Amino acid sequence: MHNMEAEISSVIFGWDPTWVAVSILLLVYGVIMAEKFNRAVLSLLGAGIMILCGVLNQHQAVAGVDFNTIGLLTGMMVIVAISQKTGMFQYVAIKAAKAVKGDPWGILVMLSIVTAVFSALLDNVTTVLLIAPVTLLITDALGVRPYPYLFALILASNIGGTATLIGDPPNIMIGSAAHLSFTDFLVNLAPIIPVIFIVVIAVVWVLFGRDLTASDESKKLIMQFDESAAIKDVPLLKKSLIVLSLVIAGFTVAHTLHLEPATIAMFGAALLLFLQTFGQSVEEKDHAYEGIMAEVEWTTIFFFVGLFIIVTGVEHTGVIALLAEKTLALTGGDLIATTGAILWVSAVASALIDNIPFVATMIPLIHSMAPTFGGAEAIEPLWWALALGACLGGNGSLIGASANLIVAGFAQRSGHPIAFLSFMKHAFMLMLLTIAISHLYLYMRYLS
Amino acid sequence: MLAERMMVTELVTAQVDESVGDVLARMRSAGLRMLPVLNADRTVAGVLSTFSILSYIVPNYIGSGDLKEVAYAPDMGVLRKKHHTIIHQKISDVMEKAPLLVHPHESLLSVSASLIAFGKHEYALVVDENSHLLGVISAGDVLDLLCRLKEGEVNDA
Repeated sequence: MHNMEAEISSVIFGWDPTWVAVSILLLVYGVIMAEKFNRAVLSLLGAGIMILCGVLNQHQAVAGVDFNTIGLLTGMMVIVAISQKTGMFQYVAIKAAKAVKGDPWGILVMLSIVTAVFSALLDNVTTVLLIAPVTLLITDALGVRPYPYLFALILASNIGGTATLIGDPPNIMIGSAAHLSFTDFLVNLAPIIPVIFIVVIAVVWVLFGRDLTASDESKKLIMQFDESAAIKDVPLLKKSLIVLSLVIAGFTVAHTLHLEPATIAMFGAALLLFLQTFGQSVEEKDHAYEGIMAEVEWTTIFFFVGLFIIVTGVEHTGVIALLAEKTLALTGGDLIATTGAILWVSAVASALIDNIPFVATMIPLIHSMAPTFGGAEAIEPLWWALALGACLGGNGSLIGASANLIVAGFAQRSGHPIAFLSFMKHAFMLMLLTIAISHLYLYMRYLS
Repeated sequence: MLAERMMVTELVTAQVDESVGDVLARMRSAGLRMLPVLNADRTVAGVLSTFSILSYIVPNYIGSGDLKEVAYAPDMGVLRKKHHTIIHQKISDVMEKAPLLVHPHESLLSVSASLIAFGKHEYALVVDENSHLLGVISAGDVLDLLCRLKEGEVNDA
């Protein structure tokens, strides 16, 4: 506390550091929502101003960056960038469509399952980036309108991503900040995901599934797809599968070996980069590395760096602890009420704003609630509430998650645009339903 | 050598409100791969090429590069379906709306640089200051001219 006061006194022009920090945070969030500027640039500008104004010094700012989150994200991006070149995602999607003999509803269910599983193990954006175009090809062959398929794809990707530590960026941040392992996420979040998935698919059936029909001719066409032609590079496929399996296995044992997930992901990335070009000339290797590095979403990485610094600045002024106090006063310091509040507020907020900055702000807030409830272990349900709310909340609107926007972009380009309000009409209701299920689950498992 | 001296001036053109089917038939019978498209006031509206027609027929999620490989997909009849609908559309829907335009006084070097600089332009339309079409120069015309210069058929002036 002493330290903090000494540092705060150095804020420029003697301004109140709390107001400076909070103004920067709100300004950055506001301009991000306006979607007129790149969010990475905005967050880095905000972080820079935070340091220039003296709310933080550079040392404190760098210490505020969670390099475990950054490393995990970057490592997985590299692994995915390499393994997607093998065509294995298209292979699985086509195999799934053929497994149900070209039945239009069966294909919708299968593609949703594939999307959910890939989203759980990889990132949602990459998953939909690879599955959505194949889906459009398949609906073209079937002669059905793609909307129900794309709608289900969006929901499946956010639901699947909720299941694991690496499935969705909010989970990566929560796991890193609260020291929750890959296994913790599997044990605590994954069990409810199939239930949520089945309920959502059942509603999708009522909404759209009943009307899906295709001629026998179209079904035959689906069976003529040759999934083996999708596999482009068999040696690379083997290497990718080996590294992916090693990385997943590594995540499950990392905690017991006192290793952070970032170490596993970055090592996996380095190993796959090494194996990918093994035996090639130096020029070929350099060319391949540069190609992969260009596919890493540096915008997202820099966005995270800036965001961590901004939130650290606000945290430094003590305003987040104050906010936590106010929240606890509202919920009466009751764990059941606080868990519910975090779940529902996170869900609605994540449907309307970017869930990454929201979670970044909520993490220190929940941390500072720990003493009230008797320590870090006691607040575990709050972390699960935040994860479920932030990830599933993304389904609430077309702007709720990056994956939604990607699918909407494909739909627009294919001549079947998804209208913001007609999507929200069904999706927001479904999102609330999934949050209600999550609420019941949290209550029964941790609070009753 | 200036653009106005090397451009081809005997041109088959199309009007923006013609149907794709009609113009495509004309292109096929004349063995043409592209046509300048003109507005009613004879100003340039765009270029219709076999490339622009085919890229309109190929589903957008493939043509845009979102789906880079479709070797595993059968011929689903999507091209035929799309071709069937496109022939009744106006060429203004399908044509390339921002063709490469050059001025009659540009040099051979300048025209060649423009043709290659923007990647996929095989033709440049030569227009006057009011955007009226004067002629067309293709990459082939440039090479043809170079050969003729070497063989002494034409003088560089």
